[in-house]
Amino acid sequence: MKRQKVLFLKENYILRILKSFIFAGLFIIALLLILVHKIDLGLISGLTKSVIYISSPILHIATLPAQGLNYSYKKTSEFFNVYKENQILKEENQELYLLKDKLRALKEENQNLKKLLHHFETPEIKSYTAKVIAQTNNSFSNSIIIYIGTNENKITPGNAVVNKSGLIGRIDTIIGKYARVTLITDINSKIPVISSKSRDRGILIGNNSSELKLTFTPLMPEFRKGDILVTSGIGGGIPSDIPVAKIKRIDENPIATPLFNLSDIEIVKILSYDITPDSKTNEALQ
Amino acid sequence: MKNSIKNILTHFIIFCVPVISILFLETLLYIPRFSEFWNVLRLCAFYSGIYFWLSTREDIFNIISTFILGIFADVIAGTPLGINVLTFLFLYIISVYLISYFNVKKFSYSWLIFSLILALTFIFKAFMVMAFFKSTIPLNTFLLELFLTICIYPLIIRFYIFVEKKYIHLEERYEN
Repeated sequence: MKRQKVLFLKENYILRILKSFIFAGLFIIALLLILVHKIDLGLISGLTKSVIYISSPILHIATLPAQGLNYSYKKTSEFFNVYKENQILKEENQELYLLKDKLRALKEENQNLKKLLHHFETPEIKSYTAKVIAQTNNSFSNSIIIYIGTNENKITPGNAVVNKSGLIGRIDTIIGKYARVTLITDINSKIPVISSKSRDRGILIGNNSSELKLTFTPLMPEFRKGDILVTSGIGGGIPSDIPVAKIKRIDENPIATPLFNLSDIEIVKILSYDITPDSKTNEALQ
Repeated sequence: MKNSIKNILTHFIIFCVPVISILFLETLLYIPRFSEFWNVLRLCAFYSGIYFWLSTREDIFNIISTFILGIFADVIAGTPLGINVLTFLFLYIISVYLISYFNVKKFSYSWLIFSLILALTFIFKAFMVMAFFKSTIPLNTFLLELFLTICIYPLIIRFYIFVEKKYIHLEERYEN
């Protein structure tokens, strides 16, 4: 076949030049996207929201067979362990009865002491249940997408997300009936914590692995291996005293491991709690 | 007129098949019980898919498809928008060059070249992530992800071969 000539150039040359231009253009767009993300303009969050809005229902439906299989496996294994579990629960129940009386007495004593001291009451924490529909846990990012249903107006970005083990992350974006949660292991995550034993404070930073680094600690900290780190409540976005991680070892900085197991995260609770001052109060305070 | 619309539609569907097959496999790889294991491999559907479609059907898989896949990968993985786009574009361009130099018709060569391309892509992505977050990334997870993606490549492409044989040939036959 005879090649056509356009503007003294062969057609395939033009196509090749055009391809190079498209590649260069897309490369520049990708670089711009990263830069705009770094500057944090609303434009990018809008685009991200739209893509999550489109992909989340598809993800939800696509994971249904896998979740069904998982549910059947769980139920079958529960059926075989039912006798053993019953014995354990009976023992636990007896212990709980004893604790219940003690707690009632302590609660009354606590309330009376609070009244005597004119102690203030922190706002009530409202919790909403959500279902995990997608997870990403690799060396480059750690996040989950959850289905929040009709609770979209009751929760806000920054709300704490917990499961039975403790804090797992914070709400990043809410898009309709779905929300993305940045896990505490993610490189973007920074959680103010306090040691439950020594009461030393610090900021727990994720690095996309199962090890979290504790920074901004006091000059002479008394962290020990095995100490449980709980949320300090500083910042006002997360309630205090939620277990977060356990100290694994003390290097230059203390290194902790999260308390949750990623494969167990199927149902989570979102804690709607915010005592951060608004912009006017903040200005007045400063 | 009716025939031309039909032709345009058929071409459009053929162009969509690689992208849809990659996104479909990506969602299939999510199994809650084994999420810890599978999550390491979540983007392998993208890496393997881009390389497979490029090496076998360059006529229906182009750089724009790669760009769209990058946007989806960024949103699903929760990485800053542009990181996976840039990584996939890098994967695309080195695949184009290496595929044109080497004979990828033989599976063993193709697998070897994929391993090389993936290693380069991972290094590129790691540098980019480290520059963006000004922090190091865990080397053990990084190497495990790379190793497992290379190992699972022959299994992953079985799905793409099935899609290619079943749907694209079907559409092309229909078009003729």
